[in-house]
Amino acid sequence: MDFLTLFPYVGIILLVVINTILVMKRDIKVDRNEDDNPAM
Amino acid sequence: MDYFKEHYITLILTAVYVAGCLYIGWHFKKKAKRGVEGYFVAKREIPGWVISLAFFSTSASTNTYIGQAGISFQYGLSWAWMGLIWTFFCVISWQLLGPRMRYQTARLKSFTIPDYFHLRYKSSLAKSIRVLSAFIILFATIWYMVGIAKGCAHVLTSVLDVPYEYGAFAIIFITCVYTIWGGMYSVLWTDAVQGIIMFGVAILMLMVPFIYLGGVDNVLESISYTEHLSKSGKPIGNGLVVFGKLVSFLYILGIGLSIGMKQISEPKNLIRFYSINNAKSMRFAMIWTPIFLGISLVCVMGLGALVHGMTSVEEANYLINNTDEVIGFMLNKFDNKLVSGICVAGLFAAGMSSLASVIIIIGTAFVNDIWHVLKPMPVNKIIPRTKWFMGIYCLMVYVLTLYPMAGIVELTAFAGAVFAASFFPAIFGGLYFKWGTDLGALASMVVGMLVNIIWRFAFRFKYPELEDIHEIIPAFMFSLITYVLVSLLSKKRRPDQKHLANVFD
Repeated sequence: MDFLTLFPYVGIILLVVINTILVMKRDIKVDRNEDDNPAM
Repeated sequence: MDYFKEHYITLILTAVYVAGCLYIGWHFKKKAKRGVEGYFVAKREIPGWVISLAFFSTSASTNTYIGQAGISFQYGLSWAWMGLIWTFFCVISWQLLGPRMRYQTARLKSFTIPDYFHLRYKSSLAKSIRVLSAFIILFATIWYMVGIAKGCAHVLTSVLDVPYEYGAFAIIFITCVYTIWGGMYSVLWTDAVQGIIMFGVAILMLMVPFIYLGGVDNVLESISYTEHLSKSGKPIGNGLVVFGKLVSFLYILGIGLSIGMKQISEPKNLIRFYSINNAKSMRFAMIWTPIFLGISLVCVMGLGALVHGMTSVEEANYLINNTDEVIGFMLNKFDNKLVSGICVAGLFAAGMSSLASVIIIIGTAFVNDIWHVLKPMPVNKIIPRTKWFMGIYCLMVYVLTLYPMAGIVELTAFAGAVFAASFFPAIFGGLYFKWGTDLGALASMVVGMLVNIIWRFAFRFKYPELEDIHEIIPAFMFSLITYVLVSLLSKKRRPDQKHLANVFD
């Protein structure tokens, strides 16, 4: 199996890992009086 | 008697599954009656894990588990790129749209995607955008519903020998009943249950060729070189495992974009953001939805290619021209009643979760965004009329499912492209650009639809070199550029500062 055929399988794993890191580092606000800061 | 002996496992699993869905609908019946916000967006009080699974299950459908999985029999493992593109847009949707959409729609008291356009851009023209977008939803989703119902009815026919018309009736009206009973509550909770089933079934389906052939090495050996013929009649050779040998990357990209981009533009996906209960839940869903979707697609997208290892030359010659039958063939060849039963329940789950999400969207679009806008009605009439319309629309879908027109799959993909090109710039601009205007939103919608139609009918299939460039690519680009240009040229139409402060700050 060549690299580009294999890539999507590895790529999906990389993508969800990067996404998880980004979400963990981000401040998320869904309401004016609410803030879910993971650092807190 | 022989019929029950042969099918008892599938029948029991299907009956338990259907009873569970109806129970959820019944359970939420009372709660859903308590006002429009409850019925339309479940009072924005749903936990993150439910929303996450609901988003996943509504994104994947029967077509994913049968059509997309089967087509890799023809295109090889390169088709797995579809899964990567799809997961990428899932991440984009949650990262860019999720938190902002939940925040702004709560501030604006928006309950549907069309009314978001109206409330965010705030003008009489914005009211027209609301009505136009509701019409687009009604038109574009009917083909999608027919396609899903048709797929599920065929599964019932092939697995349980249920006549097509009875199968279509059962799938459409069971889904319709629990959606009408519990509104968005039952849609989200049944979607979550269906998401769990679909996740398990994706893994189970992937295991079948490995168990049948006796391990990873045997599967890889059998597909690394095959004597089977491709659709064009040439030997496949090592095409199943060599990138782009059986299908061009541009074609994968075009189809991948048209399906993947639905997640950043289709109302049935975006409405999920409205119902999430708090920031902690949002964070959970942002992390886990791409994981659920990504793992399922890894399992499913290349499955057809692996089935080559289970087929003789004659069987492969038939399946290469009938890729929708590949998964059914695989299950029949494996010949395990329990596995087949679980997979059939999973296929129903995939179909019903997508159907339910669409049924509530069309009900709210017609009653809240067309009827109520053109001829305002008392608030207590909105829910009963939405229920009636959902029932009537399902009847229309049933009639169309009995006489499905040719090329419905293509029409469904085309409808998805229309959504992406016409809705995304107006939504994204509304969420991020204070300078976005109602005229920019309307112009981008019209341009998005027109370029879709013009590219498809005047260019794509007239010039062979353009055939692999899906209409979504030019339509999306033109629509986005139009939004920016027209918004900048119509500065005077921006909503007042007080309104913008309420939406953004």
